Amino acid sequence: MPVWYEGIQAEHGAVRDSCGIFDTCHMGRTWATGPDVERFLNYIVTNNVSKLEPNGGMYTVMCKSSGGIVDDLIVYKINDEKYWVVYNASGREKDFKWLKKNSKDFNVKLEDVSDTYAMIAVQGPKAQEVMQKITAKNLDEIERFNLAELTISGYDVIAARTGYTGEDGFEIYVPDCPVDSPEKAMKIWTDLIGAGATPCGLGARDSLRLEAGLWLYGSDIDESINPLEAGLRWTVKLKKPGYFIGNRAIQKMKDEGIKKTLVGIMLDERGIPRHGYPILNMEEEEIGVVTSGGHSPTLGVGIAMAYVPPEYKKKGTELYVKVRKRNLKGKIVKHRPFYDDSVYGWKRDK
Amino acid sequence: MADEYKIDESVYYTKEHEWAKKNEDGTVSVGVDDYAQGQLHEIVYVELPEMNAEVAQAEALGAVESVKAVSDMYSPIGGKVVAINEELLDSPDKINTDPYGEGWIAKIEPTNLEGDLANLMDAAAYTEYLKTL
Repeated sequence: MPVWYEGIQAEHGAVRDSCGIFDTCHMGRTWATGPDVERFLNYIVTNNVSKLEPNGGMYTVMCKSSGGIVDDLIVYKINDEKYWVVYNASGREKDFKWLKKNSKDFNVKLEDVSDTYAMIAVQGPKAQEVMQKITAKNLDEIERFNLAELTISGYDVIAARTGYTGEDGFEIYVPDCPVDSPEKAMKIWTDLIGAGATPCGLGARDSLRLEAGLWLYGSDIDESINPLEAGLRWTVKLKKPGYFIGNRAIQKMKDEGIKKTLVGIMLDERGIPRHGYPILNMEEEEIGVVTSGGHSPTLGVGIAMAYVPPEYKKKGTELYVKVRKRNLKGKIVKHRPFYDDSVYGWKRDK
Repeated sequence: MADEYKIDESVYYTKEHEWAKKNEDGTVSVGVDDYAQGQLHEIVYVELPEMNAEVAQAEALGAVESVKAVSDMYSPIGGKVVAINEELLDSPDKINTDPYGEGWIAKIEPTNLEGDLANLMDAAAYTEYLKTL
């Protein structure tokens, strides 16, 4: 995926106002099958996979026994013995090895199909309208976070109603579409453009996910961060049956309290916060650091996600972001999402 | 490669892609060139120098930021900042659309104009320089 096709801001706008498509073939995709698969996944991830109905999906993380996050991922249930696992590009080798290594005591089969399934994300308020032009399947039938088998551009694919932009949309997985022979995916891509979609690159993908307050693995979360610090408490089911990797450490952190927490910051002054910039309190003492930041095309201001001690997390708390040599004033805001979700995003008023 | 970029014949260039242009009133306008704006792509923020700041040649003057990157801007000549282009605060993309015109960043009252200009490239030398990139 290039950083942009025509321009980051135009592509960003296409997804917020209409429909954009992303070539996400770089992401990790694995089939997990077998009689023990549900028990295995519940051992690996923090969320409770047993809550899934067939064709349902859930966002979750998987942790080390230290509680540090190995990756964030989405797990979809096809049936009792078959699950579809989608994770980050950066985890393509690491995650699969982690899954494999921890599967020894379970009767499961893991098949990394990242190189043989193509993947395209169709995102934006008009994603359904655009996709409906090239499939006979009634897309109203696919609920948020669910997936379905359908035919697009004449090819059998799987589509999940999810994404990484905050908007409504789908991720399309194209089987039997290897990297060295991507004709099927190229046909779908071209047909989506013909149906009104704008091709979007990595730049817009990052600015869109930042505005939605979604985590980027490697920046906002990594193996040194636990889900409680990252605002991912809701993905951790400490009371689910059985042991899962990391549950003792996370329980301990919950009992003892966390020392830093991920917050959203909006600048009151002009400037662009970026990864690594320090956060200062009003006494100009360093209290944290920006993990993701940038210019928000939708809001027209600088926004950031940063770790600060919990006493600063209250909405409206004033602080400074040290942008190069200047301390720019900002405040803590609601950040999942940063924008008004009655105006933008998949929950917007229709 | 050199053909891809607009070159203003009336300005002097640095290797870091700033430009300087002599004005009739004795001041010198400075900005970043077409190559720099093309590399940065969509410029969304400009950090302007302070009015009356004294800068030496090649000293940091400000910064230009795109969606993806920050680029420091070094003053092509030494002197005192006597004007800053505040229009850029609301329309930083003027640097993208008109880097040598409406995208000017500051005007400087030079202290050693001829000496400083001798360290810069004219349009012909800059055209040759672009071919090496």
